[in-house]
Amino acid sequence: MVGETLRNLLMIAWLLPLAGFAVEIFGGFWGSRKSRVAAWMSVGCIATGFFCSLSALLIWGSSNNFWKVPHETDHHADAGHAEPDHAVADHPADSHDSHDSHDSHDSHDSHDSHDSHDSHDSHDSHDSHEPPVVLGQTVYSGTLYYLARFGSLDISLDYYIDSLTLVMFTMVTFIATCIHVFAMGYMSEELTEELVDHSAHLSNGHHVHRPGRYYRFFAFLSLFCFSMLGLVLAGNIFQVFIFWELVGICSYLLIGFYTERKAACNAANKAFVMNRVGDFGFLIGLMVLWTFFGTFRFGETLNDKGEVVQAGLFQMLPRDETGNVLRDAESGDVKIGVVTAAVEPGGTRTIPYSLLVVAGLGVFAGCVGKSAQFPLQTWLPDAMEGPTPVSALVHSATMVAAGVYLVGRFYPMFVQEVLLTIAYVGCITLFMAATIAIVATDIKKVLAYSTISQLGYMMLGLGVFGWGAGLFHLITHAFFKSLMFLCSGSVIYGCHHEQEMPKMGGLWRKMPITAFTMLVGVIAISGLAVPGLISLSSVFAFSGFFSKDAVVATSLAFVKGNPSHFLLFIVPLVTAGITAFYMFRLWFYTFAGKPRDQHIYDHCHESPWIMTGPLLALSFFAAFCAIGGEEGPLYRLITGDQPAHVAHGIAAPLGSGELTLPGHEAIHAVHGTAGTLALIAAASGTFIAWLLYGTTLVNVAEIKRQLSGLHGFLANKWHFDELYDGLFMKPSHVVGSCCVWIDKTIFDGIIHASAEVMIFISKWDKLFDEAVVDGFVNLLGDSTFAVGRSLRVIQTGRLRQYVMFIVVGVVALFAILFTTFPG
Amino acid sequence: MNPEFLLTAIIFAPSVGALILALLFDSKNAEAMRLFAFATTAVTFGLTLVLWLGEFQSDAPGMQLEVVKAWIPTWNVYYRLGVDGISMPLVLLTSLVSMLSMAASWSITKHIKGYMVLFLLLETGMMGVFLALDFFLFYVFWEVMLLPMYFLIGVWGGPRKEYAAIKFFLYTLAGSVLMLVAMLMFYFNSDVQADGFNLIRLAEAATAGNLLTPKMQITAFIMLFIGFAIKLPAFPVHTWLPDAHVEAPTPISMILAGVLLKMGGYGIIRIAFPLCPYGAQYLAYSMVAIGVISIIYGAFAALAQTDFKRLVAYSSVSHMGYVLLGLAVWKINEQTGETMNSEYWQMGLNGAMFQMIAHGISSAGMFFMVGVIYDRVHHRDLNKFGGLMGKMPLYGGLSAGLFFAGLGLPGLCGFIGEVFVVLSTWSFNPTLAIVAASGVILTAGYILWAMQRVYLGAEYKGPHPEDLTPMNMRETVIAGTLLTLAVILGVFPAIMFNVMTPSISRMAKAAEAGYRQSATQLSQDEMQAKR
Amino acid sequence: MTADLNSYLFVGAVLFVCGVVCMATKRNGIGVLMGVELVLNGANVNFVAFSRYTDLGLDGQIFSLFVIVLAAAEAAVALAIALNFYNNHLTIDVDRANKLKG
Repeated sequence: MVGETLRNLLMIAWLLPLAGFAVEIFGGFWGSRKSRVAAWMSVGCIATGFFCSLSALLIWGSSNNFWKVPHETDHHADAGHAEPDHAVADHPADSHDSHDSHDSHDSHDSHDSHDSHDSHDSHDSHDSHEPPVVLGQTVYSGTLYYLARFGSLDISLDYYIDSLTLVMFTMVTFIATCIHVFAMGYMSEELTEELVDHSAHLSNGHHVHRPGRYYRFFAFLSLFCFSMLGLVLAGNIFQVFIFWELVGICSYLLIGFYTERKAACNAANKAFVMNRVGDFGFLIGLMVLWTFFGTFRFGETLNDKGEVVQAGLFQMLPRDETGNVLRDAESGDVKIGVVTAAVEPGGTRTIPYSLLVVAGLGVFAGCVGKSAQFPLQTWLPDAMEGPTPVSALVHSATMVAAGVYLVGRFYPMFVQEVLLTIAYVGCITLFMAATIAIVATDIKKVLAYSTISQLGYMMLGLGVFGWGAGLFHLITHAFFKSLMFLCSGSVIYGCHHEQEMPKMGGLWRKMPITAFTMLVGVIAISGLAVPGLISLSSVFAFSGFFSKDAVVATSLAFVKGNPSHFLLFIVPLVTAGITAFYMFRLWFYTFAGKPRDQHIYDHCHESPWIMTGPLLALSFFAAFCAIGGEEGPLYRLITGDQPAHVAHGIAAPLGSGELTLPGHEAIHAVHGTAGTLALIAAASGTFIAWLLYGTTLVNVAEIKRQLSGLHGFLANKWHFDELYDGLFMKPSHVVGSCCVWIDKTIFDGIIHASAEVMIFISKWDKLFDEAVVDGFVNLLGDSTFAVGRSLRVIQTGRLRQYVMFIVVGVVALFAILFTTFPG
Repeated sequence: MNPEFLLTAIIFAPSVGALILALLFDSKNAEAMRLFAFATTAVTFGLTLVLWLGEFQSDAPGMQLEVVKAWIPTWNVYYRLGVDGISMPLVLLTSLVSMLSMAASWSITKHIKGYMVLFLLLETGMMGVFLALDFFLFYVFWEVMLLPMYFLIGVWGGPRKEYAAIKFFLYTLAGSVLMLVAMLMFYFNSDVQADGFNLIRLAEAATAGNLLTPKMQITAFIMLFIGFAIKLPAFPVHTWLPDAHVEAPTPISMILAGVLLKMGGYGIIRIAFPLCPYGAQYLAYSMVAIGVISIIYGAFAALAQTDFKRLVAYSSVSHMGYVLLGLAVWKINEQTGETMNSEYWQMGLNGAMFQMIAHGISSAGMFFMVGVIYDRVHHRDLNKFGGLMGKMPLYGGLSAGLFFAGLGLPGLCGFIGEVFVVLSTWSFNPTLAIVAASGVILTAGYILWAMQRVYLGAEYKGPHPEDLTPMNMRETVIAGTLLTLAVILGVFPAIMFNVMTPSISRMAKAAEAGYRQSATQLSQDEMQAKR
Repeated sequence: MTADLNSYLFVGAVLFVCGVVCMATKRNGIGVLMGVELVLNGANVNFVAFSRYTDLGLDGQIFSLFVIVLAAAEAAVALAIALNFYNNHLTIDVDRANKLKG
């Protein structure tokens, strides 16, 4: 079974790093501090994972006849055509030059095996303007095991394998492998019994001396890989949430790897807490989904006989043929499709439309936190305190992109209002981060802000209905940004942990490979291209051009349909220029010109092969992975299982408040215009950067002085840290103190006061006891005593006297008797 | 072993051990007494394992292994024991935590014999509470457990031990007095006096709607609830907890957090809900609100602490808020009296039960970790720690794991309970659900901040830095066991859910039926009053 | 002439008064004891007389038997006390026995 094979392969890729972690974390016990065994183990796990993912991708493709060249009509399977290393990048490399013949495509069968199901409408095969991207649409999903079952409700760990999962798996494992190898070199100074940490100080001013922690770093990396892959493989949104938190904690551990440094600890805490703020929203989204849909699963639940017992989330939301969510005419509620068969056979439930928006925004809030979008972006630049390989893997290529991935994965559940929010959040983020990147001087901080900005592009792309475009940019960005981070790591390693760009300059002479690969990355992210002769699709460009072009084109198409949202096109276009500017500024600052700090320049050196090797591998993919643009193999793979309504767009608005979302056709129509505009913006940005930093024609310091107000504002990151500190951190500490005060003063006060009252009462009680109760008893005793004392007189002890008494008594008795009763 | 005898054996094995310890051991031979006491707890743990794996049937919803013996026949008091899916996990937890905290008791050096004897008697009391099915017996065990605890805090505690011990004692006693009144209410209103203390029979009567009238149910429920809420502890009757924890010795803190707090939740789900379904439903909103306030309030208070142990204590208040929240998310259709969110409520109940287990493991672990460092440097000031991760890496790593479990990290036990409870809350009330969910931010805040001040950083800032020796074997094993359990429960929560779900579902169904009966009765009364 | 009740009562009264006078005037312990015996026998005469002349029946006689036995026992105890008293004080003058003075 294809599904089972895929599952097993991905499970191996997923669980191997976990096994690695379990062994490596105890590296201090079974190995020495100087041993590289843990690192090799870690690399082995993730590399095996990569090959597993790649084979899974190939198997998936061949089972769908995906590897067939689109314009060929005869069905010859040519899965062997793809060479393992280049399957993502240059696979049907011949397809991009046949773009003009894309009207004939896709007459392939879509396999529906036992455990697979077609979750989408069959695509529009007679639409001649659609790019030939839709081939097999086979999604494999199933359950691994149950966490809990309550009646008809159950929560389980599932898997959901479609083309997006496979592409992400392959991308993550490949980049992770490169970064693991790079880190073996980068972290080699940890291979010692006594390491001096120059960034951590003791109170007496000395540096911290500590044993190296090489094995621990790789253990954490392995744990991260496990979590990240689990997130991608997850078959339900709850499971996504589980791994969401796990990548968060891995990020915490990795940012805080240098536990001795205060800045690193603070950054780690900040990252986790900010993410938790997003997760708070995520949790709200989960609650809404759980309460109204009763399942978290993406795909359908099948019983042993292969019958559908429960619809998945993606099948429940009813959409009309134009992709709009169907609403009840009167109440505006949305009728949810097939609900749990066990509870209400064939029954339906409804969800208020507003709660559908809440659910979408909630899940998106999680993505905002994880992908460092406005307003939760401030943690990512601080997260650069972690070792550079971590920044490359966790904080640029994979984890922060998980937010974008989730938006893409959860796309069928988003309604227009949510998408518009996503678009605007992306738009604000990409502009804001880019402006800060202009003034940042720490080489990693520039890259961090660039990451935020690019993530904003992805969000924008997804928000304006460019499902493929956003995810396309996610993949390309992962390659070129991890490349650039590794390059910066190489620079930092070569310059002995100097990160400030003003102290660098002219380094290309000392580290040519790094400089060259960095330039590849810079060109890729800037979106520079050499225009082709026939049409835009045939331009020669690196990956970033194609994906950013796709995003910008989508937003242009969107703005054409909804002119009031024109900012959604203007801002990314302008920012494309800014991006090119700050990225080239970084390159010129670091590698070109004259050395600004001779000492650093003299001591700097090119990194060893173990670090430059991954750079070269990544730069190859950064350059060519998107070859062919939107007719290329990567884009086709990503969109192989795109949500049904994406292709057409939502063209016919139902009411006045609705948005017109562009379909592929509309996007295609404006592709040329958008690409040209974006290219112009990028070129002008590059030119200005060259003018300012590549030549000596303009005095940069003078400009900075004149714009000092703006510069200060940007350098202080738009004052978000101060704002949050005043708005949330301080108040929460105040509230905390209040709670303690209430406990101590009010509740304990009540207790103590009641104790005081008790003591007071008991004092009176004592008085009463002493005065009244004791007094009475004493009185009784006293009087008895007094009587006894007075009677004592007649006790003379003389017998004869007593006899006399008796006689007198008897006589008296008789006398009384006879006087009283005379009869 | 005869299965009927097993429950009795579980309860009284520690007492027998205590007796032997008191009579036969030389007070000077500390090591022998420790080993013997530990062996006793280990045997008890073994017996509970036999009970769980050998005798207990997970898929059967009702009471199992019931034992009935006349005890005080004149008052219809019986020695009545039994175990079901609700008590089974707690019995396991009790024996486990007792064993581990006994292992942690090696640090006790004062009056060892008295300590061990009281500790073992405490275990008997706790086991009895979880296994008793006779209300009177339950009450007796409840009080039996109180006294050893009082002395354990009051004699072996910290500087303000007398204050803490008396506070603990009076708080709990106040609650149990209310419980006593409620107990008598049930006794004199039960249709058959012979079953007046039989919890099972009383619950059946309540399900049929002929135990208490709706109004009496509300009164009885409030009294029971206050008693159990003090134990839980819920806002605003939680202030005994920080003091008791701070002053108690480490193993007793572990017991206190790991087991004693669970009795509150257990009492609610075993007695208050089944016996007063109408009262429970009537007060559901208040309970949920109290739960949510406890979560947020405890977290905020924890944020402001400078004493490490006090912080963990307040985190307990916060975490036990989830228990109350999960128990009470029972929403009713006012018109029909039908339960609207039956399955979500069951999820909440299950989540609450799981949260009790999870908290028993994670908080016992956290207190133990605080104790380990306290044994070395003899202070708990958060601002005077730092850098422990570097000095004691194994300790740092294990602590991080246990604190993450408390933080509710997926893959560790704390997550499942919290998240299941919160997920089920929306169906009850969205606003409260959102407030409860915001607890995740605060929890992350105070735990990470505490970890930063203790474990991270460049150097240790407090006194006695030379005493920061690595953990010894015994400490490592205790912490390792707890962390392993946290991981197992976090990854395979079904181990516990399989045990709990049938019984909880049965309880929920009975409570729903009982509410329906009472509601019908009430509406009929109103109709008659109108005529 | 037959003796009626009053004559018996008269004899009893004389015995009683003799006894009382004896008790009140004698300083010798043995003499006091004799006085007691006289008083008791005065009472006995009354009992027997009542038993003969009223419907008290045999009860009176049984009572007097009890009194006789009691008197014997009392005499035994009292003589023992007197003996001991003599041993300690070398006298049996009851006026010397004032240890019980309050």
